[in-house]
Amino acid sequence: MACKFISNEDTNKWLEALAKDHVVFVPVEDGGSVTFRPFAEGRKPVLDRMPVRSPKEAVFPQTETLLTYKYEKDPENPERTAVSIKETLPRERAVVFGARPCGTRGMSVFDKVFDNDRIRDPYYATRRENTLYITLACDKVESTCFCHEVGSGPADTTCSDVLLTPVQGGFAAEAVTERGGKMLEASFFADGGDKCAEAEAVKKATREMLGEAHDYSDAPEKLMAAFDDDEFWEEQAAGCINCGACTYLCPTCYCFNITDEPTGTTGKRVRTWDTCMSFQYTLEGSGHNPRTVKASRLKNRVNHKFAYIPDTYDKHIGCCGCGRCIKSCPASVDIRAIVKAAQARSVKKESK
Amino acid sequence: MQALAELKDQIRKALPELDVVIGWQQGYDALHTRPLFIRSEEDIDKLVVNEFCVVNPSSYLREMRGGKKVGLVLKGCDSRSVIQLIQEELLNKDDLTIFGFGCNGVLNHAKLQARFGDIGYIESAESDGNTVNLVVAGNKETAPFAELCAEKCLTCSYPNTLQCSHFAGEESDKKAEAAQDKALEEFEQLSMEERFAFWQDQMRRCIRCYACRNACPMCVCKDHCLANSRQPKWLSEDVDVQNNFMFQMIHVMHLTGRCVECGECERACPMDIPIMLLRRKMAGIVRDVFAYNAGTNAEDTSPLMRFEVEEPTIEERH
Amino acid sequence: MSGSTGLLTEGQDLRIVGFLCNWCSYGGADTAGVARFEQPTDLRVIRVPCSGRIDPLFIARALLSGADGVLVSGCHPRDCHYAEGNFYARRRLEMLKQFLSVTGIDPERFHYTWVSASEGQRWQDVVTSFTERIRKLGPAPKMSGGTGYDEECLKEIAAAVSLGEQCPCHKEKA
Repeated sequence: MACKFISNEDTNKWLEALAKDHVVFVPVEDGGSVTFRPFAEGRKPVLDRMPVRSPKEAVFPQTETLLTYKYEKDPENPERTAVSIKETLPRERAVVFGARPCGTRGMSVFDKVFDNDRIRDPYYATRRENTLYITLACDKVESTCFCHEVGSGPADTTCSDVLLTPVQGGFAAEAVTERGGKMLEASFFADGGDKCAEAEAVKKATREMLGEAHDYSDAPEKLMAAFDDDEFWEEQAAGCINCGACTYLCPTCYCFNITDEPTGTTGKRVRTWDTCMSFQYTLEGSGHNPRTVKASRLKNRVNHKFAYIPDTYDKHIGCCGCGRCIKSCPASVDIRAIVKAAQARSVKKESK
Repeated sequence: MQALAELKDQIRKALPELDVVIGWQQGYDALHTRPLFIRSEEDIDKLVVNEFCVVNPSSYLREMRGGKKVGLVLKGCDSRSVIQLIQEELLNKDDLTIFGFGCNGVLNHAKLQARFGDIGYIESAESDGNTVNLVVAGNKETAPFAELCAEKCLTCSYPNTLQCSHFAGEESDKKAEAAQDKALEEFEQLSMEERFAFWQDQMRRCIRCYACRNACPMCVCKDHCLANSRQPKWLSEDVDVQNNFMFQMIHVMHLTGRCVECGECERACPMDIPIMLLRRKMAGIVRDVFAYNAGTNAEDTSPLMRFEVEEPTIEERH
Repeated sequence: MSGSTGLLTEGQDLRIVGFLCNWCSYGGADTAGVARFEQPTDLRVIRVPCSGRIDPLFIARALLSGADGVLVSGCHPRDCHYAEGNFYARRRLEMLKQFLSVTGIDPERFHYTWVSASEGQRWQDVVTSFTERIRKLGPAPKMSGGTGYDEECLKEIAAAVSLGEQCPCHKEKA
């Protein structure tokens, strides 16, 4: 693929230029952790490590107002109350800069759920269409990285518009989409030349650092076989404390809640992230809760990623392998180990 | 480590009488341990005791009520939460077997990360109690233990497990490095406006995952927390600064006179928000006004559960 | 509780919330009213059965939701209608009073005291001096904004994307 080159200095200028007509989300140092924040003068992008928060929030923010409403009493007839509603469709154009390939890949799960033949979520779809992803390939790996095991890799281009690869003095840039190609027409980019070969070498070296990939292809059937094995799930969930850190930081977790938040006679309908780790997630109006214990909640999270999504969407694993859920877990619960245990469990059973 | 061998021995002997023993085992990399639930002999060898045993095993006790015989391997700070739970009659002392040891402090992952880039790039870390030797992306590094350990270890007065049934190894003679909480003292140098701005900025980073609450051994309401209640509704579903801070107020107020300062809330926070400042402040006030240290005496009564007709330590408010 | 937050929006008047116990302080306020003692009008009174009913979180929430001051008043110690409610309240309220400073909310914005039903004159003094104190402090700073974006960010976004009359950022201006 044709590749271009942008120097470190020009990258900053490019960001400044993009910020003129886009909200540019860049990873920045934010109180000790790295999060995506809008680019502004004096904000230095942090590109040498993976942001704690995932890039999904640019398209799927934690709290999103769907509409605002107002009750108005009819002065002629006090019994009657009229309600006026104003929808608040997003309008901004955005760029997500410096997300890792795993995080960007997360959007592929969102796309399947929020924008398909049957459903088009206007809030999601509008933001998605107006958001460009400039992804940064990895040149280092962490102990929690496993993108290569879930069908991705350190230079995966899924859902990206542009892929940058760190090379000496700057980045090698390749266009993935047409829109990405247009971006690379900016004056900051020079011809790639021998940087392209260097980029390929970086990609190859990073992939090698990850080592051999574990095969999760039989995970859906093995996990479903373990579905009713309560003992197995209790053992796996023993350390889990049922907080929502894993799901809120996950690039592919898309569950949400919709509530009306009133303030006197006015209010707003908000969509907020929800987490299947919480008791309230499945709590029914009647008071019944089908998932009362943490084992069944953890089972849902693992199965959703490694069984339900692959079953529904043509074997596409619902996990992008970024490792955020492992790294940020207060109890070091490891989703890889759980799936592997489920795979091994069946082997044990069969050999009996 | 001698203590570890002794601990394993003690657990092996006690296990037939117990449903489970909670301790630590090696996690997914050299820097992480995860909780270990020993139910059978073969689990005992997985037990590890080192400076990465950060989790407070007593946080899992709330799930184990109802007559289960539970064993716990606890650091000194962890054991305070058990004492407090017994005091509040949320646990039955007779159901518990506590395995104690002398703790020399635990490391703080957030501090490691702040100093060496990313925790994921640190390949190994070993400590002899005074210095920590690390390998970061292939390079060897050393740092003093006191600069990388958990904040609570700097002011720790309980390095040895309290009220334990079994004690392994030698007692730790680790002394508190400072009597005062330096971080809190520094924070209180700030003006009111600066403090307000500080929390405004910190709460902006909060994702309301409730890891702080769920990691807290004293948060016994479990799935029925006020924060999730719709009626009455204390918090909006909006994840914004105001609601996030209100949740912190809820947690602090509900822990007044109960917080044992184990630091699990701050450690669990995926965004590394220094929420222990709030807890330590409150615990300090309880100490000042009521001369009460939560989780040190199971026979005592928490100061907010009792009163004096004359309160000599409370200034009369006109 | 209405379930709303930010009920107290920017206004010119001070917003002072008063939690008064039914048996003493509410009576005291009534006595002051009947005697036509002049009082400032910034106080919004919430009557509660006993000062022991007051969860310190009521106060925290009022302050976080934009109240400029919170005044709590109950029966004098030893004089509680329920014998000991105010003894518990005293401990709880003292804890909050001393805690507030670390949050950056000025502890002067919160005051608790005791007024009996016959003390109309005292009630007038309490309300007047507390209101005076809050007037001097001025409107309380507000905790506001969504997560992920600080004020600076919001400005940046608004400037960068001036499309339509709707606020374009993920957070609406309110």
